[in-house]
Amino acid sequence: MDNELGSIETEMKRGFLQLLVLVLLEKEAYGYAMVRAFRDLGYEVEENTLYPLLRRLEKRGLVHGKWELSEERPRKFYSVTKAGREMRVGLLAIWNKQDEIIKQISKENKHA
Amino acid sequence: MHKNLETYIEEIGHFLTGRREREEILSEIRSHLLERAEQETSPVDEAALGKVIAAYGSPRHVAEKYLDGRPVIAPAYQRHLFRYASLLFAVHFAFVMFSVVFKRSFTIFPFLYVPDLSSILFDAIMYLPMAFLADFGAVALVLYFITRSGREIKLPWPKFASDLDELQEPEAKTLSARIWNMVEAVIMVALSAWAFRIYARFHTLFVAHSDSGKFQPLFMPAPGRTLSLVVLIMLAAGTATLLIKMFLSSRRLACWVDIAADSIALVLIGVVLRQQRGNLFAVDVPARLVTWVHVSLTVILLVVALFVAIDLVVKVVRLGRGRLAR
Repeated sequence: MDNELGSIETEMKRGFLQLLVLVLLEKEAYGYAMVRAFRDLGYEVEENTLYPLLRRLEKRGLVHGKWELSEERPRKFYSVTKAGREMRVGLLAIWNKQDEIIKQISKENKHA
Repeated sequence: MHKNLETYIEEIGHFLTGRREREEILSEIRSHLLERAEQETSPVDEAALGKVIAAYGSPRHVAEKYLDGRPVIAPAYQRHLFRYASLLFAVHFAFVMFSVVFKRSFTIFPFLYVPDLSSILFDAIMYLPMAFLADFGAVALVLYFITRSGREIKLPWPKFASDLDELQEPEAKTLSARIWNMVEAVIMVALSAWAFRIYARFHTLFVAHSDSGKFQPLFMPAPGRTLSLVVLIMLAAGTATLLIKMFLSSRRLACWVDIAADSIALVLIGVVLRQQRGNLFAVDVPARLVTWVHVSLTVILLVVALFVAIDLVVKVVRLGRGRLAR
């Protein structure tokens, strides 16, 4: 049961993480800073999953990456693009709709 | 410079494609791992780095996350790999048959080259497994390019055709199947014993009843002996295969036994095809009949070789799929 829950959670996280990144990157951040920000909010993200995701979003033009070489260690900072913001609006609408459906069905189940 | 970190980064790089992209990915991972290790201990030491690296995942696992969604062959086309490879192999096999019968080579540059295999029939048999591998590779290449193009292409396939990739593992043997196997084995043992007895008596398996009431060899001594030995080896191999499989519970080992038996059969068919030239008969046979027998024998053996080759491919695929699944 735990294994099954874990595997479904992984699938759910895949989409959710994209939305989360688009929301978080309203402010510029680099990978590890994002991992810590998520952790502070109680959300664990696999570090080796975040970077490939950022790369895919960058390729699709939803986030913009920029290397910062002036600091002690080179870091790649990401921020959401205009296309990313539009996508975020669409994704949030889907998210809210799904949330509404679940709540509605749960309410009906309670009264049944 | 942290040796363990650089080795790890290099191993990830080994699995990634595109030089520029690879370097950027590796720089980002390096930067992340160093910062992560710094959280453990500052200044960073090898022990902290080792811990962080272990938590980050195996190099192949990490690299695959970047390659996710970029399969060599798109899942929708993967079943076509075996479909078209088997179809292409059938066409290839037909060209091999034409080459043997019509004594000429065939070239469709750069897709197909079948040399004139009529004078070296043994090579025609040896050519077939390599032809299959070449066909498999050619189909894989085409599907790779289709995948890379990103276009939605509906590849045709006739509805009546069966698929190599739909091969199912045989069900566990029922009692009736076991009894039938035993009957088969008894028949094969009796047949082999009878063949060995004839060979011991006449030094050939092919004898004809003459007008004088005596038995005389049907074929000339040399080809007659070779053909007889080939048949004896085939009978012995067939009997041994049945007996071994009766006592084997592992399907994988049974597959290996079939592969060995098919390989022996292909080699023996090659030997027969090589031998059947020249004056074959030791008895008076009309010239037209001799030609007819030669052509018929060649065609029959090539068809048998086709079925044996198909069975060999099926068994190799089944074994390969089992290994991949494990």
